[in-house]
Amino acid sequence: MVKKINEQEFLSEAKAADVAVVDFNATWCGPCRMLAPVLETVSEELGGQVSFYSVDVDECPELAAEYRVQSVPCLVLMKKGVFADQSIGFKPQPAITGWIKSNL
Amino acid sequence: MERYDIAIIGTGPAGLEAAITAAIRNKKVILIGSKDLSQKLAKAHEIRNYLGFPAVKGEDLAQAFQAHLDQMGLSITEERVSAVYAMGDYFALQAGENMMEASAVILATGVVQGKPLPGEEEALGHGVSYCATCDAALVRGKKVAVVGYSAAEEAEAEFLGEICPEVLYFPMYREAPQLTDRITVIPEKVVSLDRSEGKMLVKTEKMDYPVHAVFVLRDAVAPGQLVPGLETEGPHVRVNRRMESSLPGLFACGDLVGTPYQYIKAAGEGNIAALSAVSYLDEKKRSIRNG
Repeated sequence: MVKKINEQEFLSEAKAADVAVVDFNATWCGPCRMLAPVLETVSEELGGQVSFYSVDVDECPELAAEYRVQSVPCLVLMKKGVFADQSIGFKPQPAITGWIKSNL
Repeated sequence: MERYDIAIIGTGPAGLEAAITAAIRNKKVILIGSKDLSQKLAKAHEIRNYLGFPAVKGEDLAQAFQAHLDQMGLSITEERVSAVYAMGDYFALQAGENMMEASAVILATGVVQGKPLPGEEEALGHGVSYCATCDAALVRGKKVAVVGYSAAEEAEAEFLGEICPEVLYFPMYREAPQLTDRITVIPEKVVSLDRSEGKMLVKTEKMDYPVHAVFVLRDAVAPGQLVPGLETEGPHVRVNRRMESSLPGLFACGDLVGTPYQYIKAAGEGNIAALSAVSYLDEKKRSIRNG
C-alpha cells in the first residue's frame, strides 16, 4: 500500500522508516497519475521491506523544496530518514522494483 | 475505457503494413498518425526498388497505400501521442488530453533527427523539463527559459508566462514567434545548457542567460522519452529480429529501429511487428486461460 501523507506524517513516519520510498506527485501531472498504480503494485511486492508514501507537492511545497523536487513524479528513497537516491519520471514496474532493490 | 488489441503509432510504410497485417489477423487495431500518411514518402521524388512499383513517385505510392487501407476498411486516427506508459498488463497512451489503452503497441514513428543539447540530458529533472504543464507549478514565481523547436510550443511559453514573472523564449526555428509582451524573445541559437550552483545557464552563441529552470520543447520526442523505460541506441529503438523491444508487448519497426532507411524494408518490418504482436496477444490469452 502507498500511504498518502502530509508534512507532519512525513516527519513522524517516512523519516522513521528503515527504508521509505516517497512519491512526490501532483494531481495535474499525467505521468504521476500513471505511476501511482504501478507503485501500488511495487509496494505489494516489496511491502515487507520498504514503506511507501505519497506526497502532493501542492499540499507540501516546503517538503518538495527541501528534497529539491524540480520535476514530478519524483521518487525519493530514504534510509532511516536520510536521503539515499531519487528516480525521476514514469518508469515501468520492473525498473522501479530493480531501482529499489539496488538500494537495499 | 475501450481497450484496443494493438495500437500502431505512425503512418509510414511500416505502420500501414503493420495495421493491414493485424487487421487480417482479426485484431482490434487503432492506427494513429496523419491522414497525409508520411511526409517523407510524400516528398520522395522517385522510388526505384519498391517491389511491384518500378520508378514510382512517392505521392503515387502513398495513393496506392491509401487505396489499400480503404479496401481493408482501415481508418487513421489523427492524434499526436506524447507518451506511452507500460502499465504492466497493458499500455496507456497519452494523446493530447485523451488517454487510450491497448494490450500491445507497435511504434513506427520514423526516426527523429536532431540530438539533445549538450548538458540537456544530464540536467533532466534538475532544472531541465520537457513538460511545461507538468512542472509549471514547481517554478511558480521564478525566472525560466523555454527552448522551443516549433511555433506550436509558443502556447506553452504563454502558459508559463501566466505563473512566472520572467520567461525567456529561444526560438530554434526560422519564423518570427508570435508572443505577447510578457515573454522575452531571444533570437539566438542555444548551444548548451549548463547546471551550476542549483541554477541553469542557457548558453547561446552570444551570451549566457542564468535562469531557474529550462523547458526544452520539441515537436518530435526521442523514443526513450516517448516510452519511459524503453531501451534505445542513439535515435533508434533496440529490437530483435522479431521486432520486440525491451518492454514485453511493445514492438518497433521501420526507420525507427535503424538503417537502411528503405521503404520496402520498413514495410517488411511492419509485417513482422504485427505478427509478433499477434503471437504476444495469443500467448497472453492462453496463459490467462490456463491460469
